[in-house]
Amino acid sequence: MAVGLLIGVMLFVATVCLLAASGLAARSARASFACTVAGTAAGLVAAMAVLLGPGDWEWTSALAPGGENFRLQLDGLAAFFLVLVCVVGCAGAAYACEYWPESTGSAARGRAWWNALVLSMGAVLLVSNGVHFLMAWEAFALCGYFLITLDNRYAGVRAAGWLYLAASHVGTLALIAFFASLAQSLGTWDLGPTNDVPSIAPLFWLALFGFGMKAGFFPCHIWLPSAHANAPSHVSAIMSGVAIKMGVYGIVRFGGWLPVPDAAGYVVIGIGAASAVLGIAFAFAQNDVKRLLAYCSVENIGVILIGVGAALLARSHGNAAWGGLALAGALLHVWNHGLFKSLLFFGAGSVLHATGTREMSRLGGLWKSMPWTAGLFAVGAVAVAGLPPLNGFAGEWLIYLGLFEGATTRAGFAWAVLPAAILLATAGSLALAAFAKAGGVIFLGVPRTKPAAGAHECGPGMLAPMLALATACTVIGVAPSLVWMPVARAVGTWNPAWSGAANPLFALGPAQLLLAVLAAAAGALLWKKSRANGLRRAPTWDCGFCRPTARMQYTGGSFAGIASGWFAAIFRTEHKSRRPRGPFPASAFHLDHVPETVLDRMIRPTGALIEKLSHAALGLQHGRLPFYILYLVAGLAVLGVYVFLEAAL
Amino acid sequence: MEGRRGVIAMLNLLVGVAMGLNLLALGCSRLPSLIRTVATQGMVLGLMPLLLEIHRLDWRITLVAVATVAGKGLVIPGLLRRAMRAANIEREVQPFIGLMPSVLLGAGGTILAVALAGALPLLPEHAELLLVPGALASVLTGFILLIGRSKAISQVCGYLVLENGIYLFGLLLIKATPLLVEAGVLLDLTVGIFVLGIIIDRIQRAFDSLDTRKLTSLHE
Repeated sequence: MAVGLLIGVMLFVATVCLLAASGLAARSARASFACTVAGTAAGLVAAMAVLLGPGDWEWTSALAPGGENFRLQLDGLAAFFLVLVCVVGCAGAAYACEYWPESTGSAARGRAWWNALVLSMGAVLLVSNGVHFLMAWEAFALCGYFLITLDNRYAGVRAAGWLYLAASHVGTLALIAFFASLAQSLGTWDLGPTNDVPSIAPLFWLALFGFGMKAGFFPCHIWLPSAHANAPSHVSAIMSGVAIKMGVYGIVRFGGWLPVPDAAGYVVIGIGAASAVLGIAFAFAQNDVKRLLAYCSVENIGVILIGVGAALLARSHGNAAWGGLALAGALLHVWNHGLFKSLLFFGAGSVLHATGTREMSRLGGLWKSMPWTAGLFAVGAVAVAGLPPLNGFAGEWLIYLGLFEGATTRAGFAWAVLPAAILLATAGSLALAAFAKAGGVIFLGVPRTKPAAGAHECGPGMLAPMLALATACTVIGVAPSLVWMPVARAVGTWNPAWSGAANPLFALGPAQLLLAVLAAAAGALLWKKSRANGLRRAPTWDCGFCRPTARMQYTGGSFAGIASGWFAAIFRTEHKSRRPRGPFPASAFHLDHVPETVLDRMIRPTGALIEKLSHAALGLQHGRLPFYILYLVAGLAVLGVYVFLEAAL
Repeated sequence: MEGRRGVIAMLNLLVGVAMGLNLLALGCSRLPSLIRTVATQGMVLGLMPLLLEIHRLDWRITLVAVATVAGKGLVIPGLLRRAMRAANIEREVQPFIGLMPSVLLGAGGTILAVALAGALPLLPEHAELLLVPGALASVLTGFILLIGRSKAISQVCGYLVLENGIYLFGLLLIKATPLLVEAGVLLDLTVGIFVLGIIIDRIQRAFDSLDTRKLTSLHE
């Protein structure tokens, strides 16, 4: 009872603080930030109280906006996502203080919409009524739009905003259909476990599509790269780290509450595997660091969906315990991805802040001028590549455990589970390559352009949130048992049959810790040795060319060239080049551009065709009366012929 | 029985005349002769109710006949002539579809109408009448006039011919619902006056011309 009261008070405080932070945004940056911190902290306390406490929290109000009683519910699953909202909500607000200062002209607007976004995402997690869910969902989508288009002086930013808004509303349309059909079948808009009504199972497809547009799995990811690349970096961080997780939340939530079709598990695993491999392949081929990170989010959503799909599959085969492992892995990866992707976007933001460009081919050698950013980016890169001893490995390890245990049962579904594990491993190796490329091209070598040479380390206001996130990544990595309890709580909420499972991370913790210690020791040893012997500096071997320049380095394109070739059929890379000619070539270049294939090769041409046909149809309306009468006669004649044929047959 | 045969022969003769007038209307190169043709057709049609119900004439049928003859044969053509004079229009009809092709199309339409009427499931007492093919032919002719002529007045004539076709269909029902046919006659008058009085006047005022080709600037 006391815990319930605490949670209620904390959620109330969080709401009030975030509203105040939004309201104070234009008056005082400090007061607004303090309110944001207080609000997210209160939300975090409430969420942790549910995750570590005895039971769920529920509250029904007499207020009835939209004709439905206002019902709030915070169970293990919602609280699990709420933690992420609060952590990244706070970290991003802190980062924005220095990254998006008043001189941008949109800092106040940014703070207001930021707090509104955090609040609306919290509302999405808390409400348990279809009508209110849609309201919160729409508010959340709109806040995202205003944040993405914060810097709306640029046409690219505005276009990205429109694309996001359009894609978002396509998804919302599906969700309106989903909730309306659900309410019609159940006779109530109130949401809750309804596993006992098998006739509503097909509605899962609507939910999968509607939430999938937000989650951004392949091929619903069309809005994601441009939105994440063009938004300010702290916005990219929350969009990529948290906002797309709301789509995952929807899929997990309604996959758990509703009965699902038999094929659901296979389909979700398939979508997950396709997103994982294609997402990271596209990421590898990008030249814009933020686009790379955005495509990498598609991959991570795929990784999460593989776990969720395995859980759905296991639940439909008698609640096999390996499904619990896979779901735990997926949920842990939700947290992990939220943390390290925010860290990476903050790192990319620092680079952008220091050099003014997102093009990796214009950067290079930032290791020397931005050592902190480089180190923290490296932590994020190791985590995202799923390497031990960081948190990315812990989450993916659980998914692997689940998949392998599922495969070793040798039941009929193993044919779906085993390829998923192989594709997950493929995606992991490509992720390592992609982040070797990103880290290498941006931070190693020598600066390729003047802005890169003049880069400076960012201030403590930006480093502190990055450091906090990197610490969280490391702690979850070396001591994964710490997070097992909340994860297990969320898994138990999703499927009570899986609650109370033994902690599989128990064995992993010491191994990770040992590895971390070994890595740290090796690093220290190398550092000491290099200090003792001194570094010998000499030019790189230059093939006999006497004056090497900074442009004679591996570019991002050349780094990814071979792997891009493997996916040429999907990428449709656009090449432009002029070969060097003659003994003294004056100029030569080679440009590779990987378009957003689904958008540029499928959706845009289809849209253009529809537009062309519509324009052609406009020619029928020319204003010449006799022709209008001719249309009428022709229409009548066609109808007459139809009636005649109908009668004759 | 013999009397009924005579009536049917007479009626078919009138319908035949109306069909001939259709072709004549299509071949008219000048507006006054077009108007005259349409007026004649209207009067021919006006006589038909009398013939159809010759054995039990009452005041209603007579009223229908008189109103039709007066409306289609005198009032509307008179108004058309007046409008033509008032608007000072050139007398050529200025066809989109040339006169000869129009006539050929009309002849083809008439043949089609006769063929089509043969295929329709008609009541036995209507089967030997030419009313249905006549009606279809008039409707088709009206459409050809509407599509193929550019001047508003010739288009009004097209409407009238089209309407005559519908009236012929209506005659099939005169026994059952004379009121409906009367209402149709009233509608004729309304349409005629509406078209003439309002539309022509507006076109004239807005464009200083009655050529509908100049109306294309209204299309958006």
